[in-house]
Amino acid sequence: MRPLWQVWRLIARARPGVLVAGLGLEVVVLAAGVGLLGLSGWFIAATGAAGLAGLGLAFNVFGPAAGVRGLAIARTAGRYGERLLTHEAVLSALAALRVDLLRRQAAAGLEQMLRLRGAVALNRMTADVDALDGVALRLVLPFVAALAVLGLAVLLLWVAVGPEVALAVTGIFVVAGAGVLWLTARLGAAPSVQAERAGQALRREAIDMIRARVELTVHGRMADQRARVLAEDASARAAARALDRVDRGAGLALALVVAGAVAAAMALGGALVAGGAISGPVAALAVFVALALAEITPALQRGMAELGRMRDAAGRVMEGVEGTAAAPGAEGAATGGGIEVSALTFRRPGAERTVLDGLSFRVAPREAVALAGPSGTGKSTLLWVLAGLLPAEAGEVRIAGARVGDLGEADLRGRLALLPQRSALVAGTVMENLALARDGVSEAEAWAALTAAGLDAVIRDKGGLGATLGEAGAGLSGGEQRRLALARVLLRRPAVLLLDEPTEGLDAATAERVLAGIRDFLPDAAILTASHRAAELAWADRVIRLV
Amino acid sequence: MAAGADAGAGAAAGSAGREETADAIRLEALEAREGRAFRLAGWLSVTAGLIWPFQAWVIAALVASWLNQRAGVEDAVTSALAFLALAALRALIEHRAGGIVFAAADRVVAAERAAAVARESRRAEGGPGSAALGALLAQKLPMLLPYLTRYRPARLRTVVLPAVILLITLWFSWAAALILVVAGPMIPAFMALIGMKAREASQKQMAEIGDLNTLLMERLGALVDIRLLDAGGRTARDFEARAEGLRQRTMAVLRIAFLSSTVLELFASLGIAMVAVFVGFSLLGYLRFGTWAGPLGAGEGIFLLLLAPEFFQPLRDVAAAWHDRAAALAVAGELAGAEAAAVAPVAVLGAGGPAARLSGPASVVVRDVEIRRGGRGLRLPELSLDAGERLAVTGLSGSGKSTLLAAVAGLVPVASGAVLVAGAPLSEANADAWRARIAWVGQAPHFLDRSLAENLDPRGTGADLAPALEAARAGDVVARLPGGLQARLGESGGGISGGEARRLMLARALAAGPDLVLADEPTADLDPETADAVISALMALGVKGVGLIVATHDPALIAAMGRELRL
Repeated sequence: MRPLWQVWRLIARARPGVLVAGLGLEVVVLAAGVGLLGLSGWFIAATGAAGLAGLGLAFNVFGPAAGVRGLAIARTAGRYGERLLTHEAVLSALAALRVDLLRRQAAAGLEQMLRLRGAVALNRMTADVDALDGVALRLVLPFVAALAVLGLAVLLLWVAVGPEVALAVTGIFVVAGAGVLWLTARLGAAPSVQAERAGQALRREAIDMIRARVELTVHGRMADQRARVLAEDASARAAARALDRVDRGAGLALALVVAGAVAAAMALGGALVAGGAISGPVAALAVFVALALAEITPALQRGMAELGRMRDAAGRVMEGVEGTAAAPGAEGAATGGGIEVSALTFRRPGAERTVLDGLSFRVAPREAVALAGPSGTGKSTLLWVLAGLLPAEAGEVRIAGARVGDLGEADLRGRLALLPQRSALVAGTVMENLALARDGVSEAEAWAALTAAGLDAVIRDKGGLGATLGEAGAGLSGGEQRRLALARVLLRRPAVLLLDEPTEGLDAATAERVLAGIRDFLPDAAILTASHRAAELAWADRVIRLV
Repeated sequence: MAAGADAGAGAAAGSAGREETADAIRLEALEAREGRAFRLAGWLSVTAGLIWPFQAWVIAALVASWLNQRAGVEDAVTSALAFLALAALRALIEHRAGGIVFAAADRVVAAERAAAVARESRRAEGGPGSAALGALLAQKLPMLLPYLTRYRPARLRTVVLPAVILLITLWFSWAAALILVVAGPMIPAFMALIGMKAREASQKQMAEIGDLNTLLMERLGALVDIRLLDAGGRTARDFEARAEGLRQRTMAVLRIAFLSSTVLELFASLGIAMVAVFVGFSLLGYLRFGTWAGPLGAGEGIFLLLLAPEFFQPLRDVAAAWHDRAAALAVAGELAGAEAAAVAPVAVLGAGGPAARLSGPASVVVRDVEIRRGGRGLRLPELSLDAGERLAVTGLSGSGKSTLLAAVAGLVPVASGAVLVAGAPLSEANADAWRARIAWVGQAPHFLDRSLAENLDPRGTGADLAPALEAARAGDVVARLPGGLQARLGESGGGISGGEARRLMLARALAAGPDLVLADEPTADLDPETADAVISALMALGVKGVGLIVATHDPALIAAMGRELRL
């Protein structure tokens, strides 16, 4: 229940005033509904009684008639306002929650990011968050409003009709109604969780099916993948059917609860009228109030049926929401210093062998150093450690004079930039991709960076900075995509530049031009590359060999 | 009045139909699958609605007896039990109707989902992206359920129940009936107006859901870059705008839904209030008209008052479900669009299932072939490759190297000409069997969310992977992974480098024991030593008589292949 409570607090805190106003209107709507039916029933019965007694012309019709009108308007207008306010408050809180989830995802560790299955995170930010709107709309608000209206009904019936009828009518609603709802929540928990999970698994399998379409088809596994998707569908449907059974059962039981309350009002009212304790119109009032109280049940019934799903989704969404505030970093002036590494040791989580063992070296500003060594000796790993995305086991890394551990995220990224072996571009224009580097990139700067990366001619051919790229940069060749990512990194103008095989896939002449362009663009930077190519090793001022 | 409500609803449906005929036709086709069940459930729910007049009569008679001072306790208890019994009957019938309609709606949605899966899994080009398809299957198709379970039965009730209640009212009082006749038809007119807005709002909401999913999927794929560029804040701002956009679109849909039910409630309240006033004033003796003979009795008055809300209830149900119809139409429109884009020629050949290996020598001939891609024709070069032969396909990006490989694997259908494999034209019937003999090393590796062992042995042969890993120089890659062959990698091989992912894909191809390997740039992203190792592994295949077609730029690989086809 704790995650549900957290979700409720999050929603309540976002727009408390709006939510309270919505709750107030919800009480008004329900109370007006009860009052409307009770009053008009009493009114007709009373006019009937007056007519029968020959008192027709003396009966004051204007008071009750005005009351009926007022309640009808209050109910209609109140319903509209209540729905708008509560949905507005809840949907804006959930929109903010989605953004917060993405922020947290972006601040996760490297291993976590690399292993991230897009579909899982997508489910969390869409389906799971969608499931949470019911926490306020179908759980907390209707529950509080129902209690308030039942309280008002007890008062009204107690004063106007008598304690027996008041207790019988509301008692049946509270005891039997609560019993039915409790049972609904209990029986619905497992299928509602199952339906949601299978639905999310269905989405994951469908995404895999499309992403790996060619491989699955070539290996003759597409039929199997289709079967997997449909198996999840079958499981989701079985759960949904079970949930529908619970839901309809609850509807049936609640209809009987309402009918029971009305029947009780009829029987007890009849006994009191026969005994002469109350008048016919007053007894009619009780019957009509009991009928009107039926309106409090549907919202609660839905909320209870999906309680399990909400709880499950809340558990996934709220995981780690608290205590993710980024540590403030030390504000050191980025004065020179380049890269200083001493006695650095790194081991992959759970691995026995170290990848880096007691490594020490230094790269000064204005110096370009190449890391060489066969695949698997930890060149890329070293760059990730320097970039602060993999934790070192021992040793110290200083970037532009400050220890990596002491620097805040923004400060570290301001000093250092890394071009990894594989970079992801996004759908949009060339300029939009470059503007990801920082705010306020001008066209002149963009062209300068493209020129340094040897890509200016290609982009000019494609139609300039406004040329659009498809999903993941489609429209450029692999080598061109890499150079665009390089231009993007250059635009950050870092004091320390880390490059993982920057000229992979380029012919020798282009490679030399790109390498020279990097030095020209960032003459003061300390540059460290992981390199195989002779061109890069020759270009570097110094080579460090890893073994 | 029955005719009035019917004609009004008909007019609303008519104007909607003219505007979005295609969507409406698609929606009808989808419902027609389970027409019988929907009709049965609809009539059951009508039957349940017909019980209410009896319940109302029980209450009215009891209250009238109270006013006449004639009531005994037994009468009250009998009435209470009768009311309870009728209510139970009504609830049971509704319960049954709900069960039937849910089961039918569930079957409809399942059939649509299965059809979409079958279609998209065999599509050769275009179509929705992975995130969009996921959203369609798991998020949008379920939006058909509320329409099928709520709107449809409510529509049938609207046709029958108001007419019945009007007739009963008319029996007692023509004036009360007149009030209902006047208040009733206003409702469909308003609903038609609101309905047009609702559909527009729903379409925008559907589009926004798709966009949000696609944007999120892209950004989630670029998380590492976003982190390195310190672009988290900018990305979150972009996404915030999208999330806010979705909220606004959703609110627009809801506002219309709320407005439509408010309009209805207003008219219903007006109608009921007028009936109440008429009945009250009649009972007091102010009004002496409106009945057929003699003044209105108290019991009759209360009966009429209890019936009036039920005259409006089916219309209110339709209004409450009005945006469900708009959402369902929007979903139907998407389905129609996806189907229109999937005309037969763009499906891959074969079902993509397991098959016995095609017999005959693993030779390939490409003769006079033209491929249609994105509406444009692409002419493939003539090609003839005997079993066990090696060939490098070279040329500029976009010259059709990857398309040639896809055509040989039966992944794109040919518009004209023929691809002959093992001497026979590659066709729907033999494509799966042909693919059982080939191995594929694609440009962008994709790892399914399963263990590495399962990813490397997709056909599930259970063969020992060690020799293939050794040949592809990928043994050390696996050894370094936590969990080894049981490790689960990110989608595009997160956790290992591009070169390592490539070597794993090559190991997978070797492990399958193919007769022909199709490889797209197998040595890109590899350092010279590893590239040499990969080339020698490919050459070792040649010694075993395995054919090889590679698309490449790598001069060393081109030289090793011995034969070059330049595009």
